[in-house]
Amino acid sequence: MTTTLEHKAPVIKHEGGGLARHQNFLTAMIGGVAGAFIAWAISHHFFAQDVRTTSDAVAVLTGCGWIVGFWLGIGALNAPLAWLIGSDQTRKDQLYYAGEDQGTKRYWKYCTDHKVVGVQYIVMTMVLLGAGGILAMAIRTELIVPGNHFVDQQVYNGFIAVHGMLMILALIVAVAGPWGNFVVPIMCGAKDMAFPRLNALSLWTLVGAAGLLLTTLAVGSLTMGWVVLAPITDQAGVGMDFFALAILVFTVSTTVAGVNTICTVFTMRTKGMTLERLPIMVWGAIIAAALGLYAFPYFSLVEALQILDRTFSTSFFIGNAGGTGWLQANLFWLMGHPEVYVILIPAVAAVFEIAAVMARKPVFSYRTAVAGMVGLAGLSILVWAHHMFTTGWAPTLGGPFMVTTELISIPTGLFFLVLIGTLWRGNIWMKLPTVWVFGFIANFIIAGITGIYLSDIPIDNQLHGTMFVTAHFHYVFVGSVLFGAIGALAFWYPKVTGRYLDEKLGRISFWLSFIGVQVTFLAMFISGLRGMPRRYASYAFIFEHTNFISTMGAYMIMAGMLVLMGAVIYCWNHGEPSGSNPWHANSLEWLVSTPPPLENFDVLPVVTEDPYNFGKELVRS
Amino acid sequence: MTNSNDNKKSLKSFYWLWAILTALGIAVSLYAPGYLMPESMSQTMHLSVLTMVVFSVAAAPVAAGVYAAALYILRNWTHKGDSVPAAGPAFRESGKVVITWTLTSVLLTVFLLIWGLGALAADSAGSTANPLVVKVVGQQWVWSFEYQGQNGTTVMSNDLYLPKGREVLFHVTSLDVTHGFWAPQMGTQVDANDETITDLHVTPNKLGTFDVRCTQFCGLNHAFMVTQGHVLTPSAFTTWLNAQPARS
Ligand code: HEM
Ligand SMILES: [Cu+2]
Ligand SMILES: [Cu+2]
Repeated sequence: MTTTLEHKAPVIKHEGGGLARHQNFLTAMIGGVAGAFIAWAISHHFFAQDVRTTSDAVAVLTGCGWIVGFWLGIGALNAPLAWLIGSDQTRKDQLYYAGEDQGTKRYWKYCTDHKVVGVQYIVMTMVLLGAGGILAMAIRTELIVPGNHFVDQQVYNGFIAVHGMLMILALIVAVAGPWGNFVVPIMCGAKDMAFPRLNALSLWTLVGAAGLLLTTLAVGSLTMGWVVLAPITDQAGVGMDFFALAILVFTVSTTVAGVNTICTVFTMRTKGMTLERLPIMVWGAIIAAALGLYAFPYFSLVEALQILDRTFSTSFFIGNAGGTGWLQANLFWLMGHPEVYVILIPAVAAVFEIAAVMARKPVFSYRTAVAGMVGLAGLSILVWAHHMFTTGWAPTLGGPFMVTTELISIPTGLFFLVLIGTLWRGNIWMKLPTVWVFGFIANFIIAGITGIYLSDIPIDNQLHGTMFVTAHFHYVFVGSVLFGAIGALAFWYPKVTGRYLDEKLGRISFWLSFIGVQVTFLAMFISGLRGMPRRYASYAFIFEHTNFISTMGAYMIMAGMLVLMGAVIYCWNHGEPSGSNPWHANSLEWLVSTPPPLENFDVLPVVTEDPYNFGKELVRS
Repeated sequence: MTNSNDNKKSLKSFYWLWAILTALGIAVSLYAPGYLMPESMSQTMHLSVLTMVVFSVAAAPVAAGVYAAALYILRNWTHKGDSVPAAGPAFRESGKVVITWTLTSVLLTVFLLIWGLGALAADSAGSTANPLVVKVVGQQWVWSFEYQGQNGTTVMSNDLYLPKGREVLFHVTSLDVTHGFWAPQMGTQVDANDETITDLHVTPNKLGTFDVRCTQFCGLNHAFMVTQGHVLTPSAFTTWLNAQPARS
């Protein structure tokens, strides 16, 4: 069989469209900076300089200017504006925006093709993880020995906050972004997402939000932590305003993306693709999207009210003016806990998918897998106050929240059942994606068990706010979600590029990361157990050894990630060609050529069974 | 693609592996919390360490089972060679396995819940009628402690002094941002909130010094918001208290 590795069609000069045909990332940046400058100049000029809230108001407006300018510059508003003045887009316009015949240039544009958006998300995730990773290394380097040596506390505190926020954003999109976009629509047998333009909007809005977040580093940083709760926010400078705005903008991005994913799966499935025949990955994508639609409005709300407090002196969260910081803490965690499952569920679903294909067996107890994910999502909205056990807010609610939190171990346990059941008695193909799946299993059990400790109030009263908590959620984020995400990358990379992610480099990266995670975070558990609180720029001598070990482990993880990044970049054009169905799988994304053509299918396929009957291969390669 | 056999293997080595890993896990569980956590100086801390032990012992067979299964799978069912592996046995469901698994995890969870709620109740009960009241005040970035001295005077200290064997009731508050009042050796903590008083109680049962640390991020010098606590004999405590200059 033949594989087309590139679109080699001649570039056709488009007539019409004018300036809009030249919009790309560069014009977006120019638009954003110009917008920010104009907003700054106007607000700076007109606001009374003697009012305390002025600098915050100017910052917020400057940020709004940035995002509006960025949207205009990238072309996000072209279609709605054209529609407003009565000139609708033609089919030619639509194909232009879908990136037809634009080669690699389309990756820099407001492109509506879901596969281009998927690739843009891969790059975006790597940029966010890279930026957050550099900060992680700076943090661990500062903590290598007791005392302040490399950066001062103010800078250190800012590093922790921005590291945390960047990583959270990166992981929210790490699986759902690239694969929710690239493969989920094809898996359903759809020609594109339900709302292609919204798809591009969600990606470029994320880029705009990341710009705002990085701006905080330049304007005095975010020195109050990413869990920024009143009253300490009152002492934060304008970095806080950019942060709040970044979150508001980010939630627009996730909302748009979530609606789009759900609508695509529910309305665009091809003939015969019943809900029970969906690849399990698709279930993960829609369950996480639905949970996000529940959770993220709280996040917008927190930040919007916060901005009002800061710019108009309202007092939603300001204690000495009639508000309450606990309100903010509650709203934050009403978002915060479900959000960790918005992050986790797509990774788990991807791991199920990989396990089934690589073990050459159906997902064990498919319905249990779906029920487990739904159950987890449902329970996760009832547990938020476990983050507030020690705040003193509503002490008598401790018991009930302890119950709901510990119930979470039941659906979590089902994930292990499904995974082990799927691999059990399989003919397991030990390729790179499979290796990361086993890493996921090993780490996720530690993440889950340490979570149960923390849900127990007598233990949490001791360990809350310590490095034990930090180690717990890093086992979740790094050990589980990131490992699952890398497995997914190794698994679908050939579909994107037509080439394998190098097996050898991939395994070197795996072992460095896997050992690195154990070294870093097991030592960090010990730091926490021995009594070291979180967010300490410096520490007592009794924590010396475990911190040194954690830092060494962190360097190993970094080495692993650099090897992986090198492999991803190198193999994109130079990897071993993979054909269109390297894993001999049956789901629809493997049925189409690699890379998939513009609208995926010439003729929509008709589905007659789920994709897990490996005995008869539907697709040849 | 030919149909493969159903890949059934003797599970003896799996059970052995599981048993060995469980035994190892339990050994570590019994020993590690006491060894790694700070010296216990109160019943509360004792309960906290004990709960860690109980939960770890309960979790050991679960974790060991998962690790044993993963290792057993890797040992027995990985495909050798470069060819594409044939299809595995296409079993999809097993009601028996799903029900057994779910029931087991429900039972374990219920056990942990009963233990946890019991421990919580034990810790909340037992308040005596006559606790020593200490007001804890956090501010960026120091702790101060206020006692009732003789004749209604107030005594202030930056170190925390407590008598052994008497229940202490802390009224915790803050003058600025939120702090976290934590004494690791006492096994308990609560936030210090502006304009609000939160309660915390503990009964020290051991003489010696302990740490006080801030667990709630509170700005620039958060990492340095630490001080010392001292548990004294009741008579030494009274002597200390009476020797302090009174504040009106
Ligand atoms: C087995 C399921 C889990 C349980 C029972 C659990 C339980 C807990 C509890 C009780 C806390 C609060 C600890 C404290 O602050 O004192 C906590 C913190 C945290 N957990 Fe988990 N967790 C679980 C899974 C997860 C997952 C899947 C994620 C992320 C994908 C996650 C991320 C976090 C984060 C980020 C924090 C710290 C929040 C903060 O204070 O900044 N956890 N977990
Ligand atoms: Cu939570
Ligand atoms: Cu503090």
